[in-house]
Amino acid sequence: MSRYIAKRAIRGANALVREAELMLNRALKEKGEDQKVAFPNTAYYLPLIYGMTGIAVEKLEDLVPVIEQAKRLLHPMPSDNLWTPYLGETLDSGMATLLAAEAIEAIRFVYGLQPERMPGFTLAGGTSYPELDAPNNGRVGHLNGPIDDIQLRSWGIQLVDGRMPGFAAIVGAAKSNEVAVKIVRELQKRNILCFLSGNVNGRSIIHQLIEEGVELGYDTYTVPFGTDTISAIYALGFATRSALTFGGLKPGQAREILLYNRERVFAFVLALGEVDDLKYAAAAGAINFGFPVIADTVIPEILPTGITKYEHVVSMPFNEIEGADDLEKAERLVQKCIEVRGVKVKVAEVPVPVPYGSAFEGEVVRKNDMRVEFGGKHSRCFEYLFMAPLDEVVDGKVEVIGPSFENVEPQGHMDMGIIVQVAGRQMQEDFEPVLERQIHYFINGASGIQHIGQRDIAWIRISNNAAEKGFKLEHFGKILHARYHSDFGAIVDKVQVTIITEPELLQQWLAKARAAYDYRNKRLADLTDDKVDEFYSCTLCQSFAPNHVCIISPERLGLCGAYNWLDCKASYNINPTGPNQPIKLGKVIDPVKGYWTGTNEYAKIGSHGVVSEVSMYSIMENPMTACGCFECIVMLIPEANGVMVVSREDPSMTPAGMTFSTLAGIAGGGLQTPGVMGVGKYFLLSPKFISADGGFKRVVWMSSILKEMMAEELKAVAEREGDPDLIEKIADERHVTTVEELLAWLEEHNHPVLAMEPMF
Amino acid sequence: MPVEVPKEKWPGSVRTITLGALPSEGGTRKRVVTVGGETAMPFMHFEGEIPNPPVVAIEIKDRKPDDWSPLLLETWKDVIDDPAQWAAAAEAAGADLIVLALSLTNRNGEPTSPDEAVASVKAVLRATGLPLIVFGPGQAEADNALLVAVSEATKGERLALGICEDKNYRTIVATAMANDHLVTARTPMDVNLAKQLNILISDMGLPLDRILMDPTTGALGYGIEYGFSVMERLRLAALQGDKMTQLPMIVTPGFEAWKAKESKVGEGVPASWGDWLNRAINWETLTALTLVESGADIVVLRHPESVKRVKAAIEELMAAKSLVS
Repeated sequence: MSRYIAKRAIRGANALVREAELMLNRALKEKGEDQKVAFPNTAYYLPLIYGMTGIAVEKLEDLVPVIEQAKRLLHPMPSDNLWTPYLGETLDSGMATLLAAEAIEAIRFVYGLQPERMPGFTLAGGTSYPELDAPNNGRVGHLNGPIDDIQLRSWGIQLVDGRMPGFAAIVGAAKSNEVAVKIVRELQKRNILCFLSGNVNGRSIIHQLIEEGVELGYDTYTVPFGTDTISAIYALGFATRSALTFGGLKPGQAREILLYNRERVFAFVLALGEVDDLKYAAAAGAINFGFPVIADTVIPEILPTGITKYEHVVSMPFNEIEGADDLEKAERLVQKCIEVRGVKVKVAEVPVPVPYGSAFEGEVVRKNDMRVEFGGKHSRCFEYLFMAPLDEVVDGKVEVIGPSFENVEPQGHMDMGIIVQVAGRQMQEDFEPVLERQIHYFINGASGIQHIGQRDIAWIRISNNAAEKGFKLEHFGKILHARYHSDFGAIVDKVQVTIITEPELLQQWLAKARAAYDYRNKRLADLTDDKVDEFYSCTLCQSFAPNHVCIISPERLGLCGAYNWLDCKASYNINPTGPNQPIKLGKVIDPVKGYWTGTNEYAKIGSHGVVSEVSMYSIMENPMTACGCFECIVMLIPEANGVMVVSREDPSMTPAGMTFSTLAGIAGGGLQTPGVMGVGKYFLLSPKFISADGGFKRVVWMSSILKEMMAEELKAVAEREGDPDLIEKIADERHVTTVEELLAWLEEHNHPVLAMEPMF
Repeated sequence: MPVEVPKEKWPGSVRTITLGALPSEGGTRKRVVTVGGETAMPFMHFEGEIPNPPVVAIEIKDRKPDDWSPLLLETWKDVIDDPAQWAAAAEAAGADLIVLALSLTNRNGEPTSPDEAVASVKAVLRATGLPLIVFGPGQAEADNALLVAVSEATKGERLALGICEDKNYRTIVATAMANDHLVTARTPMDVNLAKQLNILISDMGLPLDRILMDPTTGALGYGIEYGFSVMERLRLAALQGDKMTQLPMIVTPGFEAWKAKESKVGEGVPASWGDWLNRAINWETLTALTLVESGADIVVLRHPESVKRVKAAIEELMAAKSLVS
């Protein structure tokens, strides 16, 4: 905590509480203790006081204990030579300030000083004040004052259901009228509610907006509270009432109300212009709610997180913001506010000139219908996604560097690179490949566009039809921006896309991309079970195999082949209540067979008590259950002292006397059958593949389609196992379909299994 | 030789949920309905308690439905274009609860307005003293617009508002929370999805005793066995102690059964299918009873005769209690 801020907030709080006390004493004398005190049209009394203290203030005398409480929260100024963390004192002072501020506004209502008068001004929808608004009174111009309950309900529900991402409490005055308008427009564009208050040397953002003819009021989502800092209290009264109304919380549950706001109400304070003691004190109050403060002037920052989700106080001096002009700077400032509070942006539609939807994913663009292609036989296309720091990514920016395809002959080709930069608070380097793989699905969703492959073997075709409708290179970027936000908003806050066709630059980026692919391959190879402390569950298939549960480790992907450990990790981050949950490993019970306390406990819960133990690395003892989606079945051939591996794509007879479809009945359904296991085909390559039973060398028979599909990889496995010819020693359906033939084959080829210990 | 009947001992129980509020509780209902509380599988009285029998709700619309079977239109006759009269007739037919399903469009074919929806709901509340469940038309935008208005206009009545689904639940939950109502949460026949939606809804702060779960079902011959098994598993999980599945279940066999060919089609079917009306009622009754056996706490029906039969069957199943003790 900054000592400077602490000092000024404490000083500001002391001053305001004293002022409130003086005002209250005078009011008690002048108006009497029974004088009614209320905000207009609310059932929550003075809402912040009601929420924080549980006191339902109805009369002036009810404010006495409130001020007493505020006084108890005050602290002496920190000493100049003793350094303490100050955080508690500052937050207390903030709360005292809020209590005092609301009390002051209530007393001003008693004296008819609220809502603040503003001659000639008409609200575009606002809290109604019959005595001021009556036409026969000549209609007194005034600002809004507190928000009434009707509007609270309408906006509160939108804040809760996510239609409205959050609110901005703007305090002070902008650099110029132009900047004021730009800031408000940028916020409105994102559906963020603007509450306006405060001034700098008498000039308020409210004045600036009125001068520029901006309509202010409920109808335009910009509510002018008052031109002093104290009126900013109405924003927190609104926040408190949201928690009481939509959070099911009770008055007096201060801690719960504050936490509710921190977790669910995406609000922030934007302090424009010079920050005085009172503003520091009020800001400290907002931090209690988890609302960070962003200032456009130089103030000490409080970057460590804790009370707020991210930084507490961020200084972004307006003149130092990057940008061609003030308007661009204003845009950046708003962007920063959104980042600091973690407000999520929503993109409603994918902005492309062709129909878009998952229905178009499988579409094929034939050569004759094709306008142009990238990649394939004649050209090179690659895609590369990587994460970058938040400040380095401009959300929504799509840049095309190099020529477009206008000058390419019909059915011609050209080189292209798609570079996607993402940034996000929750983003991790491990998610890069997971997100990058989505490019395939995202681009395929556009009608008339075909996408095949990934990385540097991507192959994209644009149809004549799509090109005629105006599909251009930049639209790849628009698609990716929209879809990453809508599908991966939980981990991605910003997306910037660069499409490169300029040859030299393309080569540079291709080299970078390839270095990254290599790095990722290595990372994947290095990611072993003993390097992590949690595996993931996958319950996606429980809808039809209710007691089956996959346990996915770095070295054992899901039996469907579709989910590996990184996918699960990303999926859990995106959807924390979803089908992939972390399994804390706990204590190792048996490192060879692969038992942990955590995996066993989870097996019990996940299988609803049907399975009590699961070994990760053995087929003979408590093997993992299977749903029915496995890519391969591994099954013991007792006579051969080994196992066979049958691919789903292999319809022929196996040495077990059964075909895949018959075997599937034994392997599936969530049953634990020693000697039978359903697996993903890449698990065969893992060093952990039935490692407790002797590993890959136990494979005596394997569908030839697997040998072909994974020829390279299997070769590497054979090398790893110290028997480079191992794959040739493994029989397949082309030569062997019975046990007798199998045994003869093994003898003939001198398969290592002959010299191994019995499997059981 | 004495035979020891093996008994299952369950650690968990289903939550008890009350629909409707009496005048003393801030509502206007003449009676409330309490469901849930089971500590055993359906009607296994010898293993635990079934404190509240399953109840039967009758589904009515805010105007004459466009797509209902002529048999139903014929049965309800004059009341079918007046929700208040219909509700009163449903109460007379023995309903424990009323389900008012709002239509997407009004009688003139224009989108139903929030005011019209509120008027229908209020008329129904005046016409009957039974607790009320209100379903939106089933399109997210319309559901939210209409249900928010209904919810605010009936604060404190403890209506159940539906239907929350994973793509659209926040608005309904928020308005239920603010106005002391309940919600129904529907998921497409999947234990984990049902659990997940319950978690998401309770994460918003709505207490679990204000959520009814609707695991979705199919009619007899149209996937009921799948629905049955999902409900059975949800109930088993609840009794095993899984908090997020311990909610009473509401299902809509009336809606399902009346869209099956056997109830919908009167002509051009084999003579051996027998009398049309009788067949349709049988279809609805059997669908509902199967679901009651799999753990349904509220079944929503359409034909008064089915209501009578299902209620009689439930009574018999509950009477088995006395044989145990």
